[in-house]
Amino acid sequence: MNCFDLHVHSAFSGGESSLEELAETAKRLGYKGVCFVFYYQDDKQMDILLAEIERIKKDIKIETYLGFEARDLKELNFLAKKRKSFDILLVRGGDLELNRAACETPEVDILTHPEYQRTDSGLDHVCMKFAAKNNVAIEMNFGEILTSNKATRAKILHNIGHNIRLAKKYHAPIILCSGAISHWELRDPECSISMATQLGLDLNEAKKAISELPEKIIEKIKERKKKKWIMPGVRVK
Amino acid sequence: MDNAWSESEMKRERLKILLPSLREKERYVRFKVISEGPIQYSDLEAAVWNLFLDFYGELGVSELSLWLIKNLWDEKNQTGVVRCNNKSVQKVVAGLGVVSRLGDTRVIFKILKISGTIKGLKLK
Repeated sequence: MNCFDLHVHSAFSGGESSLEELAETAKRLGYKGVCFVFYYQDDKQMDILLAEIERIKKDIKIETYLGFEARDLKELNFLAKKRKSFDILLVRGGDLELNRAACETPEVDILTHPEYQRTDSGLDHVCMKFAAKNNVAIEMNFGEILTSNKATRAKILHNIGHNIRLAKKYHAPIILCSGAISHWELRDPECSISMATQLGLDLNEAKKAISELPEKIIEKIKERKKKKWIMPGVRVK
Repeated sequence: MDNAWSESEMKRERLKILLPSLREKERYVRFKVISEGPIQYSDLEAAVWNLFLDFYGELGVSELSLWLIKNLWDEKNQTGVVRCNNKSVQKVVAGLGVVSRLGDTRVIFKILKISGTIKGLKLK
């Protein structure tokens, strides 16, 4: 089973660890690939990041991907237009309007922690239907569980469980990510799978959420990089 | 009192060995602790028990048949073995994933192998 972690923050994007530390730890834990997530500044920054990621890929021999996380609607629309120039588009969940917009946008790959800093789960059945239609993966963020405790953790676990139940009902894809901001927050894939089984996924579904679904997203990246690709669902013959 | 047994009698008292079909099926989870520095068994034991009691509660932990096996802790390689019953392996592995600190040291648990026997873990 090839496992991937498609949501990792480094020191470039509010995290604590360097790209090397993150990549080395991910490799040690058995991940085949990892996506470093950044916040978009300009094209110059993107070029620097692409070069850095390529260097890490060669040095540490782990598949690396460049992802950008949209924090508001404006940023989401902007990044959706620039979709071809980077690998993975994530949207930072938590805001109801943004959660809905992310589910409705086919360019989005992952909606991260939709229940972030909320008392509810952040997604309803309408969002789930859109997420299923547009293939937007709903993230189960292990970092949130790891960094909280007691009552907060209980609420987060409840909300993640609720989202998993809805996603299963409406066949929306679910993805397991660490959301790590430090290499000490990366977790063994086995632990992530086991946690997902505690929150409502079957063992096979949990395994798919950390291996098959990320592989599908990676296939889409390869498809998107071809010259024939124009936008989701549109390509030159 | 009539039913108060002497110490010598108590020592002789043993439970009969249960039939295999009546025994609880055990699983052994071998793990490696990746940490900033070397860690002691006492820190590991305290952190694991506290975390499991916090996360699953007393009743939840009672259903796991959880036990950290002290003599299988390898201080040099920082590997250890935890025992549980066959129905709660996923719970135990998920719980180990939630342990982020042993004392002041930040740690990551890497699951090496899960087996029904200690021999199956291929300990050297």
